[in-house]
Amino acid sequence: MRQLLLAIQPAPEATFDNFVPGANVELLARLRDVAGARSKEAVIYLWGDPGSGRTHLLRAAVRAAPDAGYVSAGSVLGAPEVRLLAVDDVERLADDEQVAVFRLINRARDGAGTVLAAGNVPPAQLALRDDLRSRLGWGLAYQVHPLTDADKALWLRAEAERRGLRLADDVVWYVLTHVRRDMPSLNAILEHLDRYSLERQRSVTLPLVRQALQELEG
Amino acid sequence: MQNLWHACLRRLEQELPAQQFNTWIRPLAAEQSAAGSDTLVLAAPNRFVLELVRERFAARIEKLAAEAAGRELGLRLVLARAAETPARPQPSAAAREVGDAPPAMERRRLNRAFSFESFVTGKANQLARAAAIQVAENPGISYNPLFIYGGVGLGKTHLLQAIGNYVAEHRPQARIRYTHAEQYVTDVVRAYQQKSFDEFKRYYHSLDLLLIDDIQFFSNKGRTQEEFFYAFNALVEAHKQIVITCDTYPKEIAGMEERLISRFGWGLTVAIEPPELEMRVAIVLKKAEAEAVALSEEIAFFIAKHIRSNVRELEGALKKVLAFARFTGRELSLDLAKEALRDILSVANRQVTVEGIQKTVAEYFKLKVSDMHSKKRSRNVARPRQVAMALAKDLTQMSLPEIGEAFGNRDHTTVLHACRTIATLRKQDQALNRDYLVLEQVLKG
Repeated sequence: MRQLLLAIQPAPEATFDNFVPGANVELLARLRDVAGARSKEAVIYLWGDPGSGRTHLLRAAVRAAPDAGYVSAGSVLGAPEVRLLAVDDVERLADDEQVAVFRLINRARDGAGTVLAAGNVPPAQLALRDDLRSRLGWGLAYQVHPLTDADKALWLRAEAERRGLRLADDVVWYVLTHVRRDMPSLNAILEHLDRYSLERQRSVTLPLVRQALQELEG
Repeated sequence: MQNLWHACLRRLEQELPAQQFNTWIRPLAAEQSAAGSDTLVLAAPNRFVLELVRERFAARIEKLAAEAAGRELGLRLVLARAAETPARPQPSAAAREVGDAPPAMERRRLNRAFSFESFVTGKANQLARAAAIQVAENPGISYNPLFIYGGVGLGKTHLLQAIGNYVAEHRPQARIRYTHAEQYVTDVVRAYQQKSFDEFKRYYHSLDLLLIDDIQFFSNKGRTQEEFFYAFNALVEAHKQIVITCDTYPKEIAGMEERLISRFGWGLTVAIEPPELEMRVAIVLKKAEAEAVALSEEIAFFIAKHIRSNVRELEGALKKVLAFARFTGRELSLDLAKEALRDILSVANRQVTVEGIQKTVAEYFKLKVSDMHSKKRSRNVARPRQVAMALAKDLTQMSLPEIGEAFGNRDHTTVLHACRTIATLRKQDQALNRDYLVLEQVLKG
């Protein structure tokens, strides 16, 4: 019989600690420094493919910093006045938002804090106003590198353990070959498996995973 | 000689566009010389004007002088003696009247790091720099306004602020305002909302030096343009200096009133071009020096060679290299610089898609893209298809079933088999391994 679950499990908060650095060790260290006010960079820009962890890092930095805020394309005009402002999805900024971010960067350059921006391409390739694009490339720019499959396997095991699940090697391998391997997708799958096994009071074995994934598709 | 020069001036005034005449010819002064002398001696206010006049107008002046004198005359250009520099203007009555904010308050907006000394000069910006120095030395007297235009990140703000810093240092009483055009727009809106236009006007009209950055932000802002028009007229009339920067030549600013555009051309318009390689190297070295880092020319050259767009990105790239060196605890070297900038420099850096992989692989093996989806199983088609599947697994985040679907609705086990086959073959077959690596390179850019 199925045990019904209330949908009350909150998505895990994005923190530096639950970010798997993979090839992003330097970036992670840099952001910890910036959030902890140990580094006075006026502009930091991250870029990477969807699912590579840009938003996670931005949110983690905002959580770790004492005076910080997060906005993304569409909500920039209401940006709070903070020491560390994260601006996500800059490639989608509207015209007036671009002017606003332009001004924010100028202010940051005058010593009034840090703008931590993220987009989908390196600064020079952003289709934004010239004066904003060049400003985003003014400070430190980092690519957020996706994890390797080996790193993802490690992460899957660790994250499952956090949820009280044990994943056998064959299960990890099956998941990594049968679903999209970006982090949000893997996270969603894990969430689904957790729920699925709990509802059925069964442990996460390969047959259960197959069944769960089939239901997800069907 | 004075009369003779006046005759020449009248002719030149007719021949030349007003801007050129006012900029280059009017500042020249004929030196006293012995009667019957056969040389006209003209004093230029600075080396910049002197060089330009010598290059562009000397021949014409000589000819006109000869006509006016009725005999051949030599022309000699000299620098005006320093003593002839006009006396410092006293603070205007308006300034004293307003007098609420001490000049120092206004100067806080100036960043002292932006000086003429820290400005790296090259062919691309030497005219602009010379004009800026000229204006800083003689505000309100030489070119008004000075209009500096050029692409982003080429040093316009640096020059603008350098003028402000220079004047602040040499004329402690001068009222100086540096403002970004965008801020000016905001101020106009605020003055409008708070009905404090009189105060706004009094303030701006009382300045000795107005530095306004990125005037293109006035585009389509009618009220702002009108206020600025009044401020402009008041300041120029009172011989107070205005310096403007912009991303384009005045005539090309969209959404700007004609009367403003024509006024922008009253003084001197100079361009800043993108820096050439030597200058970019010099800029990188200068920035490193400012960070108290000993950077080899080799590394500076590497950065300058690969970052061509603008000075800001040069600065960003240097920062990245220094941060990487500090983080890894390694010595600065060319290899380290390459490693630090690898991501930024991989030009393509595009997202790899399965369609891109299929197209690239098909072209590489001289197949049709449709072969990637077809049921053909002959080795010369099947092997490249397997390579493409393996690349899709390695370079995208797609699942095996998704990859199978993209390759003509194949089963995920087929994809898995392809990945394993290619992995094994790459260890045995050097040619295939090379093909794979080349394709990977092409796709990742």
